[in-house]
Amino acid sequence: MDKFSFKDVLVTVAGLFITTIIAWVLITATGNNPSEVAKYLYEGGFKGTRNIANSLYQATPLILTATATLISFRVGMFNIGINGSMYVGALYAGWAGYRFTNLGHYSHVTLCILIGMTVGALWMLLPALLRVYAGVSEIISTIILNFVAVLFVSYMANGPFRADPIAPATARILETAELKQIFPNSQFNTGFFIAVFVAILAHFILNKTTFGYELRSGGDGLVGIYPSRFSSYLGIPSNRSAITGMLISGAIGGLAGAIEVLGAVRYFFQELEFNQGFDGILIGILGKLEPIGAIIASLFYGAVKNGGFFVDYKTDVAREIIIVLISILIFFVSAQKIVKGLEKYPIVKKMDSFFSRKKM
Amino acid sequence: MNKETAIHLKNITKSYPGVIANKNVDFQVNKGEIHALVGENGAGKSTLMKILYGIEQPDEGEILINGTPQIINKVETAINLGIGMVHQEFTLVPSFTAPENIGLGQEPKNSRGLVDWKGLNNAVMNIAEKYGFKVDPGLKMIDASVGVQQRTEILKTLYRNANILILDEPTAVLTPQETDELFNVIRTLVDEGKTVIFITHKLREVMEIADRVTVMRAGEVQGVSETKNTSITELASQMVGREVFLQVKKDEAKPKDEILNVNDLWVHDARGLLAVKGVNMNIRQGEIVGIAGVEGNGQSELVEALTGLRKASKGEIVYLGEDIASSTPKNIRRKKIAHIPEDRTNTGLNTQLSIWENLIGNSYFRKPLSSKGIFNLKKVSQHANKLKEDFDIRAPSVSLKVKSLSGGNQQKVVVARELSEDPTLTIASQPTRGVDIGNIEAIHEQLVQMRDDGGAVLLVSAELDEVMAVADRVGVMYEGQIVKWVNPKEVDQSQMGLYMAGVKD
Repeated sequence: MDKFSFKDVLVTVAGLFITTIIAWVLITATGNNPSEVAKYLYEGGFKGTRNIANSLYQATPLILTATATLISFRVGMFNIGINGSMYVGALYAGWAGYRFTNLGHYSHVTLCILIGMTVGALWMLLPALLRVYAGVSEIISTIILNFVAVLFVSYMANGPFRADPIAPATARILETAELKQIFPNSQFNTGFFIAVFVAILAHFILNKTTFGYELRSGGDGLVGIYPSRFSSYLGIPSNRSAITGMLISGAIGGLAGAIEVLGAVRYFFQELEFNQGFDGILIGILGKLEPIGAIIASLFYGAVKNGGFFVDYKTDVAREIIIVLISILIFFVSAQKIVKGLEKYPIVKKMDSFFSRKKM
Repeated sequence: MNKETAIHLKNITKSYPGVIANKNVDFQVNKGEIHALVGENGAGKSTLMKILYGIEQPDEGEILINGTPQIINKVETAINLGIGMVHQEFTLVPSFTAPENIGLGQEPKNSRGLVDWKGLNNAVMNIAEKYGFKVDPGLKMIDASVGVQQRTEILKTLYRNANILILDEPTAVLTPQETDELFNVIRTLVDEGKTVIFITHKLREVMEIADRVTVMRAGEVQGVSETKNTSITELASQMVGREVFLQVKKDEAKPKDEILNVNDLWVHDARGLLAVKGVNMNIRQGEIVGIAGVEGNGQSELVEALTGLRKASKGEIVYLGEDIASSTPKNIRRKKIAHIPEDRTNTGLNTQLSIWENLIGNSYFRKPLSSKGIFNLKKVSQHANKLKEDFDIRAPSVSLKVKSLSGGNQQKVVVARELSEDPTLTIASQPTRGVDIGNIEAIHEQLVQMRDDGGAVLLVSAELDEVMAVADRVGVMYEGQIVKWVNPKEVDQSQMGLYMAGVKD
């Protein structure tokens, strides 16, 4: 992938600026006070330990879903189904959280996470196999599986895994399976550190190992180009790369769900709603398909999201405005033609070569 | 001589971010002449023609058609002014017949508002007859030969009343015989008062067909001359900016032990049809074996079978005493067989990856580039930069994506990678396709160097000149078989053309 260049930063900053102006207009037009909204947005995102902790909590699953998505993209598979993996990962991590007793804290948490990741990975096995052996577009099959996942977990919470006679929910996980919440009045938990670790690990594997090179040899762009003739020509089995990439992607999606249940919700219930799998696609692109970029973009998105809750609570502006703004921002950041267009200005070129000097 | 000017592009300047594609270009074509436009890739020919055809707008300059200044800001305007263009990549609907393709978008209507097929057929056949084209109105393009498809493209422009025809590298896909036919067609067109602009990089053809020639280099016109007053050598040095050796310099081959022996090889193509039908050949250390032939006669499948990308249906491929007919590409590569594939952008490279990532495709797993699965990026960088230097890959940094390179430089990345791991056998398929003269020379030298260092080379190319100049022994492939083995020093081009068309002695 392209590393971040000066152009990209310029476009992102300009995008932020224009987004702010549009937001200003939108908020004024709906009869609200933009500076008040800005104040609460800032306070909700960054002011005080609790808000910062909550922002980091919001970022936790996003780091993982974005990493999961970008891994599949870079393998050449267009996986849209991370949300599905997240659901099933959450369900089964929660199940393991109450089903296995008499375990120590670390072994129980590890077991729950491994089960969540395995189920999340298996969820992606079918679309991977269908793609490789039957030519079924992974875009279509993973989108469909997102719906299947919602219905499946809803059935399980209602039927086989139901513990609560009143509400369709599983039993609460045991204390040994809990990821610890560190700050009072915040759902921020140690899962955040797992997420950051996984993203950094992904960065290392993708960019610094031959395994990562083999995975990427068939893709590495915003377009799914599996099956890649380049890989098979080099003698790298592109089928295996495609399947492996999808399984890793699904496992990380399952991990995102597992951390939500083990660290924040502590049980699985029918109405539990995830959309971080979809946000992860946008954040993955915002972070230029690099895990480190995904961490940064997730932290930003998490803060804005938490600020959005604050705005919603304190003013008449609905928090959906945040989604509108983020979407506008992504339009700008992914506008490659604008980025390319900047090349004609000598100053941009100069800055670009200045910042890229230390590369190979 | 006082000829009328059909086209005058005056002081055209066009720049893209970071590149000046055309710089004060003055290009003048007389009415009724065949005017060749030559230059290396990236010399600005295409940009100039795109400006004339309304695809691009110039930053500065003026376009005069028949003496009148015109602003051509879309293709429709160009067509209305009588300009027609036949692109290198054909724009035909495969499941349509010639008349259907020609009429597409401008179908004559009958009184009930439906397509008047009969009228269309007649109109097309009339034009075809007038210019002496042979057209089968019932033949679908998918079943038509490349030559027929090209004639259909030319008819399409004539149907739209083109008086000025731009032919972009029209001979790249033709056999020598088809090229001769095309030249006859071009001469008829000119006799009927049309003007033809002929874009090419084959200078021999320029000398044969064109009246005048404009040479471009680096966005500027280097010279305009009448072909009778110039020579291939002069044009070539104008194109490249230095003297070019058109002949490949090499000594007599000194073949030693046999390295590869292909025995009765049969291969099916992607559609399940037999493409290779019983090929026998051998390659020895220290020689370059060429395979000539019109594309689509089984060369691609032969190469794919040799490199493990396609399973042979029958036969043996014995490499250093071992049958590798059912080996995987990986095992074949590990046996030091290098492969420069014909399809550069999808097979030979992943253009999304950086230059260095493409350069290490056959060596990433070995020390010191990586150890225990982890890259030593410093060593990788040294390796990549050395190849960049050795093979003269023009790029500011090896971290750039391959897709930002020109076609010639992309090919150099492939060649550099494939020749870097000291191969015993190098299989090069169309190694200089889309590469400009200066770089062709370099690639040929590298192949000869491989040979002189004791390697064996199989060179498969649709460019007859290339095979004849580089190979020590040439097999002509026709309909899946090698119909003739020749010594390139002992046969001439027209003789080869006959073999390539399937005519036996």
